[in-house]
Amino acid sequence: MTVATSLNSRAVINSTTIHHEIENIAAKGTQTYPFYYVFNYQAFYIRSHKELVSCVGWTTSDELYSCSEDHQILKWNLLTNDTSLVVRLPEDIYPIDLHWFPKAIGGKKQTQTEIFVLTSTDGKFHLTSKIGRIEKSVEAHKGAVLAGRWNYDGTALITAGEDGQIKIWSKSGMLRSTLASQGSPVYSVAWGPDSDRILYTSGRQLVIKPLQPSSKVIQWKAHDGVVLKVDWNSVNDLILSGGEDCKYKVWDSFGRLLYSSSSHDYPVTSLSWAPDGEVFAMGSFNTLRLCDKTGWSYALEKPNTGSVFSLAWSADGTQLAGACGNGHVIFAHVVEQHWEWKNIVITLTKRRTMQVRNVINDAVDVLEFRDRVIKASLAYGHLVVATSLQCYVYNSRNWNTPLIFDLKEGTVSLILQTEKHFLLVDGAGLYTFSYEGRLISSPKFPGMRADILNAQGVSLSNDTIAIRDKSDEKVILLFDALTGKALGDGKPLTHKLEVVEIALDQCGPSTERKIALIDKNRDLYLTSVRHLGREPKICKMGSMILNMAWNDVANILCGIQDNQFTVWYYPSVVFTDKELLPKTLYIKDGSEFSRAPHILNYVRTKVTLRQGDGSLVYSSVPPYPALLHEYSTSARWEDALRLCRFAKDQSLWACLAGMAVANRELTTAEMAYAAIGELPRVQYINFIKEQPSKESSLAHMLLFSGQVQEAEATLLQAGLIYQAIQVNIDLFNWERALELAVKHKTHVDTVLAYRKKFLQKFGRKETNKRFLQYAEGVEVDWEKIQAKIEMELSKEREKAANASVRSSLASRR
Amino acid sequence: MAKDPLAEAGFYFDELNKLRVLEPDVSQKTSELKEECKEFVDKIGQFQKIVGGLIELVDELAKEAETEKMKAIGARNLLKSVAKQREAQQQQLQALIAEKKMQLERYRIEYEALSKVESEQNEFIDQFILQK
Repeated sequence: MTVATSLNSRAVINSTTIHHEIENIAAKGTQTYPFYYVFNYQAFYIRSHKELVSCVGWTTSDELYSCSEDHQILKWNLLTNDTSLVVRLPEDIYPIDLHWFPKAIGGKKQTQTEIFVLTSTDGKFHLTSKIGRIEKSVEAHKGAVLAGRWNYDGTALITAGEDGQIKIWSKSGMLRSTLASQGSPVYSVAWGPDSDRILYTSGRQLVIKPLQPSSKVIQWKAHDGVVLKVDWNSVNDLILSGGEDCKYKVWDSFGRLLYSSSSHDYPVTSLSWAPDGEVFAMGSFNTLRLCDKTGWSYALEKPNTGSVFSLAWSADGTQLAGACGNGHVIFAHVVEQHWEWKNIVITLTKRRTMQVRNVINDAVDVLEFRDRVIKASLAYGHLVVATSLQCYVYNSRNWNTPLIFDLKEGTVSLILQTEKHFLLVDGAGLYTFSYEGRLISSPKFPGMRADILNAQGVSLSNDTIAIRDKSDEKVILLFDALTGKALGDGKPLTHKLEVVEIALDQCGPSTERKIALIDKNRDLYLTSVRHLGREPKICKMGSMILNMAWNDVANILCGIQDNQFTVWYYPSVVFTDKELLPKTLYIKDGSEFSRAPHILNYVRTKVTLRQGDGSLVYSSVPPYPALLHEYSTSARWEDALRLCRFAKDQSLWACLAGMAVANRELTTAEMAYAAIGELPRVQYINFIKEQPSKESSLAHMLLFSGQVQEAEATLLQAGLIYQAIQVNIDLFNWERALELAVKHKTHVDTVLAYRKKFLQKFGRKETNKRFLQYAEGVEVDWEKIQAKIEMELSKEREKAANASVRSSLASRR
Repeated sequence: MAKDPLAEAGFYFDELNKLRVLEPDVSQKTSELKEECKEFVDKIGQFQKIVGGLIELVDELAKEAETEKMKAIGARNLLKSVAKQREAQQQQLQALIAEKKMQLERYRIEYEALSKVESEQNEFIDQFILQK
């Protein structure tokens, strides 16, 4: 009796505080966890509904609708902390799920009045307007309709029922088809990123079913208990599932398990991806958890809410609302996010406040913002903060006077920085701004969906923007960062396989901009972004690369390769001397990192990685290669040599050799190659040095880098036909040599003579028809040939001498 | 003793010489009876009052006993639920502790990594100075 009374009296107290009493439960649960990216929860809840709340949905980032079994739909305004009754539903409607019609499609605002779909226990779904008027009720399933979801462009609605059926409806609520039917209820359903597949629960299993009837269905056992909730993120293409076995799991879209949580005390009743796909929220009985996309948990809250039946993130990804079993609606937002750059540590302490700490002198600055902070980025001495309405740009030397400009659309989803400018991505497009706040360019391309771009799919350097094409993932679109126009002839870079990750190097002149890409097979490739005429070579750098990052001050690349940490001191060496590449590597055993490390950044000599369990680890890379890069770009070869002698590191010598060859610095190259014991190369360099003319040595330099065709073209252009033929002979490229000789009507006998000699040496007979044909008409006389060759060489020498005299005369004039 | 004719006729005089039709002793007895009856009625009334009070008291006691009983049952239930609540609280705290422990472990790993970097850097500096 007394128990009951005491409960009653509490209920009375609570019901009198309906709208005004905000209880902050964060005070006891605040967790500070200084990470590169750290999240925290400040949650408060407001008592409102009399029965359990079944579903919630955001209209804007500050307005939420909630439905409860007390037949009420309430509207919550977070700016004014106000709650109002939208409508009281008929007594026979018990709502289960709510989903707002998608707001913006590919950057275009929907003109249609805002509606949402409300599913209920009586087997119907109701298209309801913002004012709560039920526009249309459709009889959809036998038994309750357990889920209703619009696709991303709002052209279709999917409903899942207790009767085990999944149905697709048109925008206006006309039945299109029954996609699937099974013996057990479908508890949850989610759309794939391109709205061409759906994911649904089937008892303990998960099923991915494409809308195309002939396509393959993927089905796998996901949990040891009934799966209650699924979610699929459009940005990172990862799947979440949670079930009665009290676990949540993260899957990729092929059904491979990426993470499985330990068992909780109660079943997982709700899961929801944040829109940017970086984090997700999990709800259970008296439990709210924030997790990284790789599965590990940032924060755990134990609010007194009962089971959290539904979770919804606001579009900007800063706020979370949960529908609680005890009639509460819980609101939470993410704080304690953390950024580090050199000696500066910035923490988002409150929704609108950041704390800047300089670790060297412990100076603390506090930055206040007018609105909620949505995204921020700290690099290259600048902090860029996007709030819901404005963008703030701070220079690390001065935290008092930020540069502020207004943002068109409030939901910035990605900020990328380079030394000179930064890129903002919002739902409508991409914009590059200078640090003075001037809009530099805004690249556009057909079929652009800026809302699903992520850091793996976009890369920015001082002069170039690279974007992986979402519609064809083999294609990388390249733009000039300063004009926003497509690079070169406008043809995108096409790889032979789907590209997973791209990264542009950050230093050096724009003509030598390189892009590193990882494809579906986890192979790493490097290629040039800007090229003249011919398609650029895409050179393979390594295999089993999980991820990568460029250094911020030198073109040094680091990556996680299989289970080791690899640094490519001088990646461009693949273009000049491919065999040198393995010698320029710096490899650290991966045993010091645990499962699946992920590179976050590579600043100066420090690489920051995050391990699979969420802990941060650091690795330092020797500072010499960066110095060497500096010497090489400023052509201080003497200093470079001194540095290498000082460091006594083979890989450094190999880098220097590569750099010297790339810059045609033969003396340095010779020494460097000698230092790493590459004697044939030393010899060849000496041979190049002895070449009579500039063209010849250039051609041999090109040959040195394996660019045979370019070398031949160079020689032919300079009129050095014999030399071109000789090059082909030396490479045993007989057919081409003969072709050239015949074409230019010279040295046919030379080619034949060498061919004969070659065949004799190997004791073989001529079988090539062309050679047989020409051998008939031409007599081979070695003495004559030698004389001819000698003549050609002296001619070249003469020409070169004349040219140098001419040029010196010209320079004198 | 000669009989009083009046008495024979059934008439009597009382002390105040008033004519009476009832014998004086009978009359006296009657009045005595009347007195006694009155007394009896009074006494009964009084008894009833006392008994009423008693009943009331007992009733009250019963009521009180009943409430106390209920209270006891409630308290017992509360005690039971408190134990359960504590259990739940303990469970919650355990979960939070586990979370913190995980964070601690992450911190430890981070610290170790940083210490390693530090030692590497020190080594580098030493080497640098020695070679110079």
